Amino acid sequence: MGGKRKKTENEGTERDGIVSVNNESNKKIKKEILPSMIKNKEKRYEVHAKLKQQKKLEKRKKLKARDASEKHALELGQEPPPRMVPRTIENTRELDETVCKPDDEELFAGNDADEFSSILKREQTPKILITTCRFNSSRGPAFIQDLLRVIPNAHYYKRGTYDLKKIVEYANKEEFTSIIVVHTNRREPDALLIIGLPEGPTAHFKLSRLVLRKDIKNHGNPTSHQPELVLTNFTTRLGHRIGRMVQSLFPQDPDFRGRRVVTFHNQRDFIFFRHHRYIFETKESKSIDPKVKKANDGKGENIAQEKVIARLQECGPRFTLKLISLQHGTFDTKGGEFEWVHKPEMDTSRRRFFL
Amino acid sequence: MPRTTTIECPGCPPLRALTFDALGLIKVIEARGNQGGGVPKVVERWGEPDSSKCVLAASMDDCKLDPLLAVARKSSTIEILNPLNGDLHVAISHDGDSGVQAEDDTIVGLHLFRKHRSRALLTCTAKGNASMRSIELRKLTGLSAKIDSLKNWKVCGAGNILCTKVDESENYALFGGKGVEVNVWDLDNHTKLWTAKSPAKNSLGIFTPTWFTSATFMSKDDHRKFVAGTNSHQVRLYDISAQRRPVLSFDFRETPIKAVAEDLDGYTIYIGNGSGDLASVDIRTGKLLGCFLGKCSGSIRSIARHPELPVIASCGLDRYLRFWDIKTRQLLSAVFLKQHVTSVVLDSSFIDEGEVVSNAPDPQLLEAHDVNENEVEDKAETLPVKRKKSKEKGKSEKEGCEDHGKSKKLKSKKKSRTGISGHSSDDAS
Repeated sequence: MGGKRKKTENEGTERDGIVSVNNESNKKIKKEILPSMIKNKEKRYEVHAKLKQQKKLEKRKKLKARDASEKHALELGQEPPPRMVPRTIENTRELDETVCKPDDEELFAGNDADEFSSILKREQTPKILITTCRFNSSRGPAFIQDLLRVIPNAHYYKRGTYDLKKIVEYANKEEFTSIIVVHTNRREPDALLIIGLPEGPTAHFKLSRLVLRKDIKNHGNPTSHQPELVLTNFTTRLGHRIGRMVQSLFPQDPDFRGRRVVTFHNQRDFIFFRHHRYIFETKESKSIDPKVKKANDGKGENIAQEKVIARLQECGPRFTLKLISLQHGTFDTKGGEFEWVHKPEMDTSRRRFFL
Repeated sequence: MPRTTTIECPGCPPLRALTFDALGLIKVIEARGNQGGGVPKVVERWGEPDSSKCVLAASMDDCKLDPLLAVARKSSTIEILNPLNGDLHVAISHDGDSGVQAEDDTIVGLHLFRKHRSRALLTCTAKGNASMRSIELRKLTGLSAKIDSLKNWKVCGAGNILCTKVDESENYALFGGKGVEVNVWDLDNHTKLWTAKSPAKNSLGIFTPTWFTSATFMSKDDHRKFVAGTNSHQVRLYDISAQRRPVLSFDFRETPIKAVAEDLDGYTIYIGNGSGDLASVDIRTGKLLGCFLGKCSGSIRSIARHPELPVIASCGLDRYLRFWDIKTRQLLSAVFLKQHVTSVVLDSSFIDEGEVVSNAPDPQLLEAHDVNENEVEDKAETLPVKRKKSKEKGKSEKEGCEDHGKSKKLKSKKKSRTGISGHSSDDAS
């Protein structure tokens, strides 16, 4: 009731105010009638469709104008006007002071002192123990089969009924450098635990979107060469540490003849795992692209005739990891100290990332 | 539109903190604010990064005249430094005087005496070898020092000592650890006064093994009450004069209690645990007063209470040093320190150089214009105690913003009122 009355009162004040201003505002309102304000459904649809069409045309016009100006600039031999960079969540990410800088000597000293440095300096070859949770079936073993093909010098041990702490002890004695535990829930792998040995940290990842090798169309079969490793976007101090941990799972002397790449790509705190084979092929292209020719004039022909193309073939599993916690020391649920745990109070912004 | 909720950090009052990290670096953090809203920064860094020099324990004697800082390192040496400029007075090799030392027998506790036991040092190793030695610093020769009157004794037969604490009067010390019940020693004649008794089995007949991770005495003039935190996330209050079992005990969250610190009032304690939760508790009732929220995600290794200002500092494995307001439990500011920080010490004798230029303890980093500004300020205001000043400032600011809010509210109220009155008049018409 009160609200309604207020409205009427406001209108009254408007009427009392300067008339010309009132008129202008009225006109504006007439122009900016939103479809959502129309109560007749058919009319609303009509207006909406019209509006959309208009927007589309405008956009097309803008694009055309941009392309034309670019072309014009090229013809004149000028620099084309710079393209707009779209705003994404990644490039508007919240400022983080923990991002590693390349000239930070303390960071390098910290790296030298950490648990993985002996492996990464090639003083020690990684030896991985892979095991599962207590109950394991269906996609779990299949995933482990794939993992064994991906990670060199990995050994699968049946979990049995051993405690994880006992397994850590055993692995220490057998001089393993890391343990990977694949946790399955309802016959679907859903978590990955990576334990560094002998005193390394324990990282707990959520595992999702797993596609096994046999389910990938036109998949390749990996060779037994040592794979190359690509780690991207591990920028913060925590991300750096996780990156080093992942790096320490693989031998540090890749066999480039194998042309095998394992990728861990971090994007918005999700780590995407991919496994590829690549090849560089020189292809003699029959028809040279006229645009390229025009643009590069004489130079274009030579390049186009001996074009080197990199081709990729995906092999091995494909999955996504998300860090849940990083624990100091080996696996210890009760007395463990965490270096990083995800807490709900951190999720106050979509633009805050930790890796 | 970016959806962000940034928590504004109001900044700290002027203070000075020393942090010790896993690479053996000592970092000096100073906040020097004109309006009580200074941003703490790393001012100095002492030492070279070396993982074998990882700092295990630190203690500071922050008297005005001749302050000292003792640092125990992983390589079983104790260094005595000048906390003002980081000059090394003397380095004592710990394993030299107690014969053959095992690898894992590292120093866990260190205390530098302040009062009547002038210039003495108490150390305790993980195996329970406590020792007391006196230090003489010869002023004339500068940095040379003499160490004598070594006194060794054994605190425990088995188990690992994890926490050592000396009470405020410096006559008593308590030790506790993994498999070692908390015990209190008289430091005058090195006798054990009291040992705790483990709590009874629970209703299921399950006995939780003793594993104390941190302890602190409650009040300044009373050595009989102390609080201990255990690995099974339990906080216990012991009273020597009452009984050997804990007077009070309560659980805090799920991960082990890693740090306990007492407040000046003698009944509030601050507890930090392995997953980065920091909370204050009224120990008289065992009630949680509140948690300190602020995106703290790594285990808290050390908490320090400022002797005058209402500020605590916490640090740990998340590589941050954080300052918190006690009253509002708000994060004042956080400093990224790049390494795992093992302990933090607050320097109570630090005065913002602008105020007392004449006997400023550390003349380095003295910026002229800064000083002048401060002086002008000081002239404008009669010099109150620093703490009050900052408080007042805070209050006034708060009041200001509150006023703002109020005025807004009032406005809206007015609006509504006018609306109401309008409609009433309408009604009338």
